[in-house]
Amino acid sequence: MTSDKETWDVVITPKRMWLGLNLKELRQYKDLITLMIRREFVSVYKQTIFGPLWFVFQPLMSTFLYMFVFGNIAQMGTDEIPQALFYFSGTMLWTFFATTLQKCSDTFINNAGLFGKVYFPRLTMPIAYVTNAFFTLLIQFAVMLVFYVYYLANGVQFSLSWWILTTPIYILQLALLGTGFGIMISALTTKYHDLRNLVSFGLSLLMYATPVVYPISSIPVRWKVLFQFNPVAPVIEMFRYSFFGKGSCNLKMWAYSLIVSVVVFLLGLMTFNHNEQTFVDVV
Amino acid sequence: MSTAVKVEHLSKEYRLGVIGNGSLWKDIQSWTAKLQGKPDPWTKINEESRIGKRERFWALKDINFEVQQGERLGIIGRNGAGKSTLLKILSQITAPTEGVVKMRGHVASLLEVGTGFHPEFTGRENIYLNGAILGMSKADIDRNFDEIVAFSEIEPEFIDTPVKRYSSGMYVRLAFAVAAHLNSEILIADEVLAVGDVKFQEKCLGKMKEVSEKQGRTVLFVSHNIGAVRQLCQTGALLDHGKLLMLDNVDKVADEYAKLIGQ
Repeated sequence: MTSDKETWDVVITPKRMWLGLNLKELRQYKDLITLMIRREFVSVYKQTIFGPLWFVFQPLMSTFLYMFVFGNIAQMGTDEIPQALFYFSGTMLWTFFATTLQKCSDTFINNAGLFGKVYFPRLTMPIAYVTNAFFTLLIQFAVMLVFYVYYLANGVQFSLSWWILTTPIYILQLALLGTGFGIMISALTTKYHDLRNLVSFGLSLLMYATPVVYPISSIPVRWKVLFQFNPVAPVIEMFRYSFFGKGSCNLKMWAYSLIVSVVVFLLGLMTFNHNEQTFVDVV
Repeated sequence: MSTAVKVEHLSKEYRLGVIGNGSLWKDIQSWTAKLQGKPDPWTKINEESRIGKRERFWALKDINFEVQQGERLGIIGRNGAGKSTLLKILSQITAPTEGVVKMRGHVASLLEVGTGFHPEFTGRENIYLNGAILGMSKADIDRNFDEIVAFSEIEPEFIDTPVKRYSSGMYVRLAFAVAAHLNSEILIADEVLAVGDVKFQEKCLGKMKEVSEKQGRTVLFVSHNIGAVRQLCQTGALLDHGKLLMLDNVDKVADEYAKLIGQ
């Protein structure tokens, strides 16, 4: 039985790892990930009147609301981008980030029953949440293109820039930021349930510190320094610059935001890994 | 025959009482007070400082045993003996405080019937979802699908109905049927037979015995139903107050357990 020592498939020890992504294990559970994505996606519209229309309903309603409140009543500028496109693109990207963050931050609390009874890689859930948000974003992006073509047909000129090619990076960045912050907070909410309230409140505050309903160019110079710390701000600005050719293209801020995204994601992964093995005893 | 599960010096400690103050803000206040050497502002009168006070409780203490491949081990003991904690550690749901567990083969644990069933999904969708949660691949489930439905005794016309419309018996039968068809080398089951009628319980026990004998799977089974344990298992482990009292032939262990309760 000497050869026994090396051939164990599962070894359970009290040690907790900090940074490690067990990709091999996640691959084994790829069917589960697919099913979880489907479960998340379908549960949005099962037994509803509007069905899958819910995926575009929310950003459309927000867009109309913003056009009315910020565009007409408050008379805020949109960098000469058509209002509908300006608000829709902002809402769409912001919702992607915010939904990912919020869903991920509830990973342990919402799945406590499941996690307490069966083992599978806990990262399955955040992966399903972010992918699900991504599919929602794709649908909304298609709607944005419809608006886009509509304005083109009505003679609005857009100066597309080559930066449009980096769109996948913008999306990836938002995904990393949302997931990173989300799983970082999820580790804390198992112990402090009141953080959940803070998350939804904090997100709605942060939205107003992000150029969702106004362009960066309309901010007074003395407040601009605040925006330099917000890693989401340059992503939305860059996206609009790429597609509509208006607004700011500040590469320094974008580079900063890229670095922050990666760092936040890695930190999130560390806290998540550290927490997943014992959260059952704490939650 | 090789060893399937090897447990060495396994211990699990839980902290008793209220841990922390329950809110981040209060914990920060307590913590900064401690740093400044001041008394904890959230300490109740006549109570020792909260932080640093650690009442401990060993749910499991220094457990050692081995299970051979194909063996069916029944774990018995009174309430609070540590049976469920042991299974939770073996299922990787919570980490041990000390010790090591080594296992050979894929582990499927069935600590609760129907874990991860989504009420809005149909029986068919839930078979796939539940199977995947328990670690089966889609191909595995495809292959076993008909057998699972047949085992669950659910009429084929119900399989595409959302499970929230199922009777509780149907729900349990379907859930167990999925678990019974797992292609895992080690099956861990905790009190899963407490549900379902007697006839279905018999069928489940028979199924577990069959997979163990024919396919050489290892079964770790926890139950308060000593009859079921005697029927299914060859060896028994008796736990009490977090310690392993006895590991022997199932009948001897069951007799010892009867004496323990009789006291």
